[in-house]
Amino acid sequence: MAPVVETERLTKRYRRGRGIEALTLRVERGEVFGFLGPNGAGKTTTIRTLLGLLRPTSGTARLFGLDARRDGLAVRARTGNLPGEFAFAPRMSGRAPALAERLQADLDRPIGELSRGNREKVGIIQALFHAPDLLVLDEPTSGLDPIMQREFLALVGEERARGTTVFLSSHDLDEVQRVCDRVGMVREGRLIAVEEVARMRERAHHEVRVRFAVPVHPEEVAAVPGVEGLRVEGDGLAFRAVGDLDPVVKALARHPVCDLEITHPTLEELFLRHYRPAEEGR
Amino acid sequence: MSVATAPAPAPPRAPAAPPPPPSAARSLAVMVRWGLRPLRRAPLVWGGGVGALCALMAAMWPSIEDSMADLMQSYPESLRTAFGIEELTTVEAYVDAEMLSLVIPFVLGFFAIRSVERAVVGAEDRGHLDVLLALPLRRAVLLVGAWLAAGAALAGVLAVAWALTWLVGTAAGTGISAVTMAAGFAGVWPLAMCFAGLAALVSGLAHRPAVVTGVAFGTLAAMYTVDLVGRLSEPVEPLRWASAFHWYGSAVHDGIDPLHVLLLSGAGLAMVLVGALLFERRDVR
Repeated sequence: MAPVVETERLTKRYRRGRGIEALTLRVERGEVFGFLGPNGAGKTTTIRTLLGLLRPTSGTARLFGLDARRDGLAVRARTGNLPGEFAFAPRMSGRAPALAERLQADLDRPIGELSRGNREKVGIIQALFHAPDLLVLDEPTSGLDPIMQREFLALVGEERARGTTVFLSSHDLDEVQRVCDRVGMVREGRLIAVEEVARMRERAHHEVRVRFAVPVHPEEVAAVPGVEGLRVEGDGLAFRAVGDLDPVVKALARHPVCDLEITHPTLEELFLRHYRPAEEGR
Repeated sequence: MSVATAPAPAPPRAPAAPPPPPSAARSLAVMVRWGLRPLRRAPLVWGGGVGALCALMAAMWPSIEDSMADLMQSYPESLRTAFGIEELTTVEAYVDAEMLSLVIPFVLGFFAIRSVERAVVGAEDRGHLDVLLALPLRRAVLLVGAWLAAGAALAGVLAVAWALTWLVGTAAGTGISAVTMAAGFAGVWPLAMCFAGLAALVSGLAHRPAVVTGVAFGTLAAMYTVDLVGRLSEPVEPLRWASAFHWYGSAVHDGIDPLHVLLLSGAGLAMVLVGALLFERRDVR
């Protein structure tokens, strides 16, 4: 079965400014794919090219195995879209009772009279009400309060359970971590990494904080394979453990340990590790 | 004690054939309705405004009728020819000269241009097309729908203006002819729709509302000038055929010429279709 979203060296260049460059990715049916990147990285350009709003400079974009522009009608009949800045005819109102009730959206009032958050709810409803096979969401929770964000993420989970594919662009790493199966990171118009969220976290380093009952020389711990960034914190040590944790645990166990804390980094920390070298290099 | 339960998860969707996109005819009907929504007050506002001016002219006719012949004689002949006011002996000719030859074509030409511009490039500028064009809707249907909606609203505006003029003219005892005035107002429709078509054509290329309105309305003004100067100057006269105002003529004096109506409306529609092709190919910002 063809992937729901498939791009091959998709490139969009603007006369002024960067768009996206040779972006190749696949999103399979039923997958929730997070598309991460800072502002201006090319997330919205990618989405608007997938939806046929922009003409690619080169490369191809296929949705459901169909060309995003040439077969745009058939593609868009199966797609729900929530743009980043949901704007619509201000005098329009609408009807979609079940979803509206769940999101506490007031569909009787004209869109122009609604707050940003409530307009966003209307946007979510219009993207979902026709039960699309593909949901394209560009920073969907930016205007929602935390309760509605949670409700929305629950909705995304239900859509996935129904077999809907979700392409979710965001820079809210927490929401990506909570709902996405895989994540692609885009920087300066280029896709720099695509990983399963679970694997990414598995492969990631651990943050270790340890306090010993007796003084231990920091250099002894620093010499253990995989220990990085060792620092002394009060009467304890803190460091990053990269790779296999076993030699680290065994090395620490040679001394009497009072307290040990091993945590996974958040996706945000992982994300920043991807971006920091480029930013520091400027 | 009550126990909160999570809602039952929705059952997985059974694989089904993808829904067929709606037909072009159905989409067009929806888009015309959609395009008419923001224009629903236009007959009252634009028709009422233009109609009130025309009605004022008609109501004034009995008080100026006697002095009109002397006034006309005081104008140079070339000026009378240029403005088509050789004989202002009837209220219909007076309303035609005062309103239908310049003011109404300009005002309602602007209305038609703006109606198309707002529905296409204006909507793009406000970010509405990101929602609309993510639906299974051809851009060509959006453009043609905007043009047709402008045409329907314009017909309503003209009908209200005609009704007001005729009612006030009749009440003022001018003996105004409903049929002659209807022809005069109806003649504006193809002219304005020609320029609405030009607005659609420019919408296929430009992203900014001011550019669309400026080019289309500027062309309207330029064509009026070419037609006017062509009546006064022999060297310019051959260029009049390129002016929509040449084909507009005066339906009050000469009646409706079906060929001219067809020519102007056809030119408008042709420009819409070319605009649709261009709009399909360009980026939506």
